[in-house]
Amino acid sequence: MDKKRLLLTIVTPEKTILTDHPVDFVTIPAEGGEMGVLPGHAPQVAQLREGIMHYRDGHHKEVFAVLNGFAEIYRDRVLVLAEAAELAKEVSEERARQAYQQAKQTLAMRGADMDLDEATASLRRAAVRMKVAEFRRKHKM
Amino acid sequence: MASLRDIRKHIASVKSIKQITYAMKMVAAARIKRAQNSILASRPFAVEMDRLIGDLYCELGEEDLAGTPAQKLFCERPAGGPLCLVLVTADKGLCGSFNTNLLKAAAAWLKENRGRKICAVAVGRKGRDFLKRLKGLDLEIVHEMVGIFPKAGYVHAQLLTDAVLKLYGERPVEKVTLIYNEFKSMVTQQIVTDQLLPIKGHVLACGAKGALSADFDFEPRKADLLGALLPRHLGAQLYRTLLESQAAELAARMSAMEAASKNASELIDGLTLKMNKTRQAMITTELNEIVSGAEALGG
Repeated sequence: MDKKRLLLTIVTPEKTILTDHPVDFVTIPAEGGEMGVLPGHAPQVAQLREGIMHYRDGHHKEVFAVLNGFAEIYRDRVLVLAEAAELAKEVSEERARQAYQQAKQTLAMRGADMDLDEATASLRRAAVRMKVAEFRRKHKM
Repeated sequence: MASLRDIRKHIASVKSIKQITYAMKMVAAARIKRAQNSILASRPFAVEMDRLIGDLYCELGEEDLAGTPAQKLFCERPAGGPLCLVLVTADKGLCGSFNTNLLKAAAAWLKENRGRKICAVAVGRKGRDFLKRLKGLDLEIVHEMVGIFPKAGYVHAQLLTDAVLKLYGERPVEKVTLIYNEFKSMVTQQIVTDQLLPIKGHVLACGAKGALSADFDFEPRKADLLGALLPRHLGAQLYRTLLESQAAELAARMSAMEAASKNASELIDGLTLKMNKTRQAMITTELNEIVSGAEALGG
């Protein structure tokens, strides 16, 4: 029974999402394309682009949205350093779309330069969220 | 001598001021907990990032590095170019000497570098206004960021990093200096003047794991990877700076408002005493008049 498993850690600057969570299988959106990681993978450092990562833990599956970052695989430990990561279940497509529209409008107005930074930031966030929601819809998750 | 009515009015106004300062203190106290938590939460990321960069740097030879964008970020630049100042202040006042001390430190720095061209990046309204007010200096505000506290997030740090890196890439900036308040404890803040760019050597010191990681695969090439990692490292550093400054501001505001509430209480006590004395004096005078009137009639 003593099957080899991966220990998955996901950290973002704002919070630590997972710490040494044992999983069977992880896919990460590497720069050159999607990359699947199983226990016993060769040590590797990879750059991530914004996209979707999922892991499987027994029969339990989880999908994350990650936004730019790095992954380090070393001795069955997977460390993901992402600028932002969010559980797909927590992303609402409708809200993401609204936020996206709103941020675009604020940017278009440009009058109140006070909120400009804020708007650019939320535009980025909303774009990734929308991508995740779309993915979820496609894969019926 | 102030009349009874004047004193009562004065007491009422001091009381309402006290209510406001007390409320501000409570708000700061509630927010500071969250600010401290986010400092703690940002730590693992920064630690892992530093380790990864350290490992990667050890893997790289000098020849791998030459001519890459990553190398530009840590080689010393020739002296004589413009200097860049990143000043992190608060947006609002009413936080004791928080801003004053920062601006003093910034003024001292500017004095030290008198005669040089200076590009400034201002975070927080107070700092921006201060830099705008300065006259007779070769100073240009390249980027400003106001209204981000008390909800500074990593996205803000990222925008700030982009601005700084753009500036560093486009102009022959000699170095980038960072001035901010560090959160030491609830009662003390410390002003820190730090060099942001070029990245100092100790960040790149080899970790203990350096030798172990010899058989790593890299995707993309190591030098490109380092080039992508370093801006993230700067982002993490600036994020920490923003959070520290935010927590320090809240702590400063909390203690300033606590002192203000205490002063208001003392003022109210003094005024109440004065009011009672005035009232007693009035009663005594009236009694005196009545008694002397009765005596005059009876006599």
